[in-house]
Order: sequence, then structure tokens, then C-alpha cells
Amino acid sequence: MLSAVFAIAIAALLAPMLSARLDDRAGWLLALAPVGAFAWFVSCIPVVAGGDVVTASISWVPALGIDVAMRLDGLSLLFALLITGIGALIVLYAGAYLSDHHHLGRFYAYLLLFMMAMLGLVLADDMIALFVFWELTSIASYLLIAFQHERAVSRRAALQAVLITGGGGLALLAGLVLLGIAGEGWRFSNLDVAAVESHASYYAIMVLVLLGCFTKSAQVPFHLWLPNAMNAPTPVSAYLHSATMVKAGVYLLARLNPTLGGEMGWSTILVVVGATTAIVGAVLAIRQTDLKRLLAYTTVAVLGQLTMLIGTNTTYGLQAFVLYLLAHSLYKGALFMAVGAVDHSTGTRELSKLGGLIRFMPLTGAAVALAAFSNAGLPPFFGFIAKEFAYAGLIQMGIMGWAVIAAMVLTNALLLAAAGLVFIRTFLGPRGHYPREPHEVSVPMWLGPMFLAIGGFVLGAWHHWPETWLVNAAVQVISRGAVDVNLYLWGGVTPAVIASLVTISLGVIFYSFRYQVRRHLALWRGFWIVSGDLVWDRLLKRLFRFAAALASNWQHGSLRLHLTLLSVVFTAAVFLGLVPDGRSLLIGGEYTPLNVPAMVGCLLALAGAGAAAVMRGRLALVAALGASGLGLALFFLSANAPDVATTQLMVETLTVVFLALVLRSMPAIPGVSAEGRLSRVSHVLVSVFFGIAVTVVLLVAVNLPLPGNIAAWYMENSYPGGHGGNVVNVILVDFRAFDTLGEIVVIALSGLAAATLLGGGKLTAMTRHGEPEFDSVLLRQALRPLAGLLVLVSLVLLWRGHNLPGGGFIGGLVAAVGFILVVMTFGNHFTRALMLTRPTFLVGIGLGCAVGAGVIGLLAGKDFLTGMWIAPLGLKLGTPLLFDIGVFLTVFGSVMHMMQRLAGRAT
Amino acid sequence: MELLAALTAGGLAGIGMWLLLDRNLIRVVLGIAILGNAINLAVLTAGRFAGTDVPFVTATSVPPDPVNPLPQALVLTAIVIGFGLFVFALAVLKSVRESHGITTTDRVTEVTEEAAPDQEEPGFPSGQDDEDRVHAPGGRR
Repeated sequence: MLSAVFAIAIAALLAPMLSARLDDRAGWLLALAPVGAFAWFVSCIPVVAGGDVVTASISWVPALGIDVAMRLDGLSLLFALLITGIGALIVLYAGAYLSDHHHLGRFYAYLLLFMMAMLGLVLADDMIALFVFWELTSIASYLLIAFQHERAVSRRAALQAVLITGGGGLALLAGLVLLGIAGEGWRFSNLDVAAVESHASYYAIMVLVLLGCFTKSAQVPFHLWLPNAMNAPTPVSAYLHSATMVKAGVYLLARLNPTLGGEMGWSTILVVVGATTAIVGAVLAIRQTDLKRLLAYTTVAVLGQLTMLIGTNTTYGLQAFVLYLLAHSLYKGALFMAVGAVDHSTGTRELSKLGGLIRFMPLTGAAVALAAFSNAGLPPFFGFIAKEFAYAGLIQMGIMGWAVIAAMVLTNALLLAAAGLVFIRTFLGPRGHYPREPHEVSVPMWLGPMFLAIGGFVLGAWHHWPETWLVNAAVQVISRGAVDVNLYLWGGVTPAVIASLVTISLGVIFYSFRYQVRRHLALWRGFWIVSGDLVWDRLLKRLFRFAAALASNWQHGSLRLHLTLLSVVFTAAVFLGLVPDGRSLLIGGEYTPLNVPAMVGCLLALAGAGAAAVMRGRLALVAALGASGLGLALFFLSANAPDVATTQLMVETLTVVFLALVLRSMPAIPGVSAEGRLSRVSHVLVSVFFGIAVTVVLLVAVNLPLPGNIAAWYMENSYPGGHGGNVVNVILVDFRAFDTLGEIVVIALSGLAAATLLGGGKLTAMTRHGEPEFDSVLLRQALRPLAGLLVLVSLVLLWRGHNLPGGGFIGGLVAAVGFILVVMTFGNHFTRALMLTRPTFLVGIGLGCAVGAGVIGLLAGKDFLTGMWIAPLGLKLGTPLLFDIGVFLTVFGSVMHMMQRLAGRAT
Repeated sequence: MELLAALTAGGLAGIGMWLLLDRNLIRVVLGIAILGNAINLAVLTAGRFAGTDVPFVTATSVPPDPVNPLPQALVLTAIVIGFGLFVFALAVLKSVRESHGITTTDRVTEVTEEAAPDQEEPGFPSGQDDEDRVHAPGGRR
């Protein structure tokens, strides 16, 4: 069973390729997949008819008890046969119908994708799997309706269909999840019916599931997407929008009827909505002049009747549901394909231009005749039996049933008239005014309709066969108790027969006076205006306007407003959350004593930052920012953090260099006073409160005792566990090396991104000879040994970093400072020659070293990045050292990459 | 120490935010650097300054009263990453200046944001007349 689904999925994947190689012959090959599946399902008929089920399952989300579980019972089998059987005919038909279309392969792929999804939907026993397949059918339908995407009408129709069915799908998901919770299981086959019925969310489940089903099966008021979906190529209309996909909704209703159908509300909703849909569909159908739209509205009508028949929940009603479903799929598929053939042959679908086609297209005409008889419900066709049983089922309902019967007689009479329009008006009578000279269509195009139409006749005339093998098993699945299935063409003069006679005579009258009927219907102008697509378009437009208003208010694109909001919210959260707590902020904590260097450092940091904020001269600004950073480094040093201080020192140096190089091409900075007074004041207020909030958060934090003893753990384990005396470095390259790996990746990426942006502007001569400001023999001679010394120092820092201040980060930064001097004085070419390679290559090597250091641990059977050590000749070497070299190269390479792109460019 | 550090971090954060709110992009970039410094200091402060010895051990001994090494390790990488971010901001500033010739924030947004190409989708007719033309629904003939 799973392989049937997979086979079709694989056919979908192969379709574009096959179609490109074999042209329209590919259809015959691709049809093998559904034909094979059909054969398999046929072979299952005896098993299922005997009351057994076939199951298959793959584990999907075992933690949640969700599997791709499939279960073939009577109802699934009926649908599976329709899907694969009609599907195979449609694939052949599409090959001929779209033979000259340049995207035929894509079309096959979409069509087979849909077939796979639909098959999965009807076979799925797991609710979540069913939902996934359900959504897949919506997506496939979207792609197929929009197949002729050059046309705005097609795109609009596709969007409308996917929005309506997708919206319903969301409701369905919610409903199914609730149902799974209430029914204590995710399988349809083992839902606890009693638990569902007594569950508090029973009505919520019912409404949500019904929303999903009604949107999918185009029930009023969601019916409007179906006629518009007729913009799809005819094979799609025949397959998705009459025979299969739109029946997914009624399929699920039938599937859940035993679970949810015990309540009067369920029946009432189904009967009322179904009957309304049937009448609306039939009335709209008779008003159409386009054959395809006419058929679409009759489909709406039939879907309404099917919904209603489930709602009756009587023995005859449920039998009628199964019969009608089968009959409709057969004749409607045939009629759609035949209309497509007519369109293909004559170039028009307008009723007023057609007539007398039987002379040109005898085979298509014969197929339409058979299908139309079944559609009209004339004996001995299958449609007749279905209609008889429908009346009988409604009569079983009692008083309410009689009211509905009146509506049904009217609907069926209108459908009969519509069938008359399709056959008599099109194929008989005088010759029409065709845009093209008609001709009989090719074999694949009349084969499908003929097969299906004859099927409708055979099943009706020899009705014992479907009764035994198909209908019985399907009816047992959807009813709440056992049902005795016994089909008959003639059961004596019953009320149902009388209703049938009334229907037929009324239908004939409607057809004979069709012009008068249409004229009278046209008088209800107010009604037609409301029922059109107008409401939909207005709704969509309002929604877009609403969304646009909402988005533009929040995503206004102003950095300053975003930042203001951010900091105001942060400040408010701090003050509301921490200050009323009543804790004393300034006293109570155990503070460490102040020392003078720390105070000097802090003052320098604040003063430098403040100066950088208000100064207008670019050089002064760079100097002020540098001073601020140096102050911070001083503070770090006095706080017993030598590694952090060194890093800050090097970074500050590099910051100043980069800032100076970029700012030299910038215009002077205007004074702060350039802005309006109000915004100036508000900015100051926002910033001041932000700063106070940061201080408050820190004070509250440090006033509490430090939880845990993680610091002590690192101190104790640094040497025994990491073979290093510099605890900070051991943390970086060993204990928290994975963290560091992520960080150097960030550095590498930001370096690559920044370098690309920095490379703008014109190249100048200095790329070859260094910056003009450094053009002095004395400077060059002096810088040469200095740069060399710095690089040497950096290597020492790297090597000793595991035990003494230093390490990959610091070493890399120092080396970069040294090489930047070289770039400045001697230019990029010289630097590149000196480095022997490109900086990006170094970054790659560095990341490779770091990852490689981790993989070594992995190869040794430990976790990723576990430190491994060897000591040849007393020299301790370990993977953390390799990792540190990786850090060194990454940092050095990134900085150099940015520098080389920036240096020697003038704006 | 903690009080001093908290006040300094708050002061730097305030200055940084004030610069970020400025209209001039150069000041915004400086704000990024200063705010980054403030946050580095804040992280270190949150780890307390208790302890009198630097976090170094030898094969045989652990200092009796060391400072907390973990925030130092975190801040060390944060400083380098902050530098990467700062240079990236500088690069954006430079390329904005080169491609648009301007250095003010809200103006940049205005210039760079173009209307989405499919905003005027013909599939969504704007008026009632269009609707009639595009998809003649069943009712009105």
C-alpha cells in the first residue's frame, strides 16, 4: 500500500525528465504507475469485501505516537480505486490535451503529486498524516489551477482556492488535534467514541472539522472557489475539481460520521448546509452558458447532496451516499473530459455557439450521452439507483426529510435540465457556429470519457456486482451500526419512485422552457450581486489594507524609533521589575575595595566616550575613542584580568586604525544642535534613563551572593584537566572550546562580510607602495624590524598562552597589528608576498585547525573537542594547542583580510 | 569596585545609546563601539571582583584567593567579536557613503527601500469595474 503511494511519488519526480525525452508519449509510460496501483487495489477487493482491512505503517514521530499509518477499508478502497483509475485515464488524456504545451512535464509532475497526496489522504489512518496529505492536495491544486500562470485570472483563482481551502485546513488541524486528545489516540480506527462524545470540546471539534470539510468540498458559503478553479486546464477540472479532491471533504465527513455523528446537531448542520449548497449550485448551474462553469456548478450541487446524505444517517441515505459518490465521479469525470474534447476540437465552450456535434464527434458524443443519462438519473443507469436511494433515505428521516425532498426534487430536476444542455444542446440539433472546424479527437481523449460513461451504465445494469464488492464494505465503514445493503433498480411503486417521476417530468419541463427559466432567474438581480465573488475581493482588499497599516506602523524603517522603543521598554522593565522590590541598591553588597588605577581607568573611559560623543573634529574623535578604550583596559588590568586587558588594548589599537582609515574620506560631522529641540531633549532623556537602568541592573545583580562555585571548579581543574596554568585560556580552548569555535566562526564571517563592503572606492597607487603618510625612508627602515618583532612576539604569546598571559586571540591581534604596519608602509603587494598566501586562506586553515582539533577527540572515541595530549621529548603538545593555533589564524586572517581590502582605496 | 564599575558601565551605555539615537551615521557607528564596551564591562562586573590573585595556577598550587576566571573568558571573546561588529558597521558606513553619498540614518532607509516589484499585482483588481472584466462571475450576464 505504501509502495503504491511511493510509486506515484516517484513517477511525479521522473515526469519532467521523461516528458522532455519522450514528448507526449511519456503519458503512456507515466500512466503505468496509477494503473499498477489500481491493479493492486483491485486485487484487494476480495479481502476488503470480506470485512477485513489491510494495514501498513512507518514510524514517524514515535515520541508523540504519530505514524504514517495506512488502513485500507471499504471507504478507502472505493476512493483509492477512483483516484488511481480515473487518474490513469486523466494522465493519458492530459498528454493529448496539452500535447503542444511547453510545460507538459511540469504538468504531469503536479498531477502525479496530487494523485499521491490524494491517495495518501484516503488511505491515512493517522490524523496528522491525513492532515499533511490534505494540505498537499491543496498545494497541488494551487499549482494546477495556476498552471497557465501567465493569465491573471488563473493566478487569482488559484490564490482564492488555496486561501479558502488552506484556511479551512487550519481549522481542520485544530479540530483533529482536539479530536486526538479527546479520543485518546491518533488513529481514526481506534478513537474512543464514548470519550469524544462526552468530552467538553465536542462541539469545538465538530465545528472545526466541519469548517475544514466544508471549505474543501465547496459548501455554501465557501463554494465560490470551485467555479473559479475552472480556469485550470480541463484534465485538472475533471480530476481534482469534480472526481477527487473536492470529495476529500465529504470523505472526511463520512470517515468521522461514526465518531461525531451521534449528535442531532451534526445531522442538522449537514442536512441544512448540504441542501442549501445543492439548491444554490443547481440554480447557478442552469444560468451558465459556458459548459465548464455549468458543470462546475452542478458539481457544487452534487457535493451539497452528498453532504446532506451523510447527515441523514439513515440506512438508505448512507447507501445512497456511496452510490452517488461513485456514480458522480464516473459521469462527471466523463463529462468534463468530453467538454474538454469539445473545447479542443471546436475552440469554444459557449453553449450558444455549439450544436449538432454528433456528426463530427460520434465517439465523444456517445460517451456524453451515456454520462448525461446517468447524470440525469434515468434508468437503468447507476445515477438512477443513487437517486432512488437518496429519496428513500430522506423519506426515512421523517417530517424533516419531506421538506428536504421538495428541495431535492427541484435540484435534481435542474440537474436533469443541465444534463440536457450538455448533451442535447451540444451534440444534437442544428449545426453550431464553431470558431474552428470540428473533428473527432484522438484515442486518449475519447478513451477516458468512454470508459467512465460505460462504467456508469454497467454498474447500473449489473448492480449486484458493485453491491457485493464495493458498496457494502464502504457503507459499513461510515454507518454507526450494521446496514443491510441491497441494491435494486425497480422496487415496486414506492414514494421514492414517485419522487423520481416528478423529478424527471419537472426536469423535462425546465429544459423545454429553459429560456423562460433563465429569464425569471435573471430577475432576482439583487441576489446575484451578493452571491458573486465581490464579497471575496472586498474582504481580501480590506485584509491587505489592514495588514499594510499594521506593518507600516511597526516596521517603519526608522532606526531611531526602533532603538527608542527598545530602550524605553528595557528601561521600563527594569524600573517596574526591580526598583519596587524595595532592595537597597547602594548599600548591602560586599564590595571589593577601590584602587586608584581602576578609578583613573573608569574616569578615562567615561571622559573619552563623552568627548567622542560631542566632538566634531574627526582626528580628535578618533583619539578620544582610543583613550576611552585604553581607560577600560587599565580598569581590566587593575581588576586582575591581564588577558582581557591585553585583548582590549590590541582591539583598541586596531579600532583606531580602522576608524581613522574610514573617517578620512568622510565629511565633517555636523554638531548635535542640527536637530530639533524636542528630539534632542527626548534623546537625552531616553539615553540617561537607559544608562541608569543598566547601572541598576548591575547593582541589583552584584548585591546578591554569587550562586554556585563554578569559579573554584575551574581553578582546581585547570591544571589536572586542561594541562594549563592560564585558567582563562584553558576555559577558552578546552573547557568551553565549542563556544569559542562558534565565536571564531562569527569573527570569520563578519570579517568576510565587512571586507566585501570595505572594498569600495578607487584603487590608488599606494596599494603598491604603502600609504603616502608613511612615505619616509627613516620610518620605513625603523618599521621593518618593529613589525618583525611584533610578529615574533605574537608567536611567543600564542605558544605560552596556555600557562601565562597570551593565547590565540591576543597572539592573532598582535600579529595583525604588526602586519598592519607593513601594509601601511610597504603596500598590499609586499604584504601578500611576505605572507605567502591570501588572508582568506589563513581563515580557512584556522577554522580547519579548530574543527580538526575537535575531530581528533571524536576519533579517539571521546566527545567532540575533548582535549588529547602527547608529550614527545618532554614537550607537552595537545589538541587545545592546535585549537589555539586555529583561533590565532582565524583572528589574524580576518583582520588582515579587512585591512588589505580597506588599505589603498580612495573614495 | 563594583559600584564604580556599575556606574561606569551605566555611563558608557547611556552615552552609547545617545550616539545610536543620533541622525549622523558616523556617530551611530561610534555608539556601537561604546555600547559594546559598556556591555563588556557589565559582564565582567556581574562576575564580581572578589579575589586578590590573578587566575593563574601552577602544576602544584592554586592561589588562595583568585578572581572569577569565567567572565574573563567570556569578555575576552566578546571584545574580539565586538571588534568584528564594529568594523562591519564601519564598512556599512563606508559603503553607504560611497553608493548613496549620505550619512544620515533615516534618510538611508528612505533611499534604499524600494517598493516590492509585485506590489501592483494585476491579479488583484482595484476597482469594481475591473472585477467584472477579469473574471465575469456566474451571476451577471
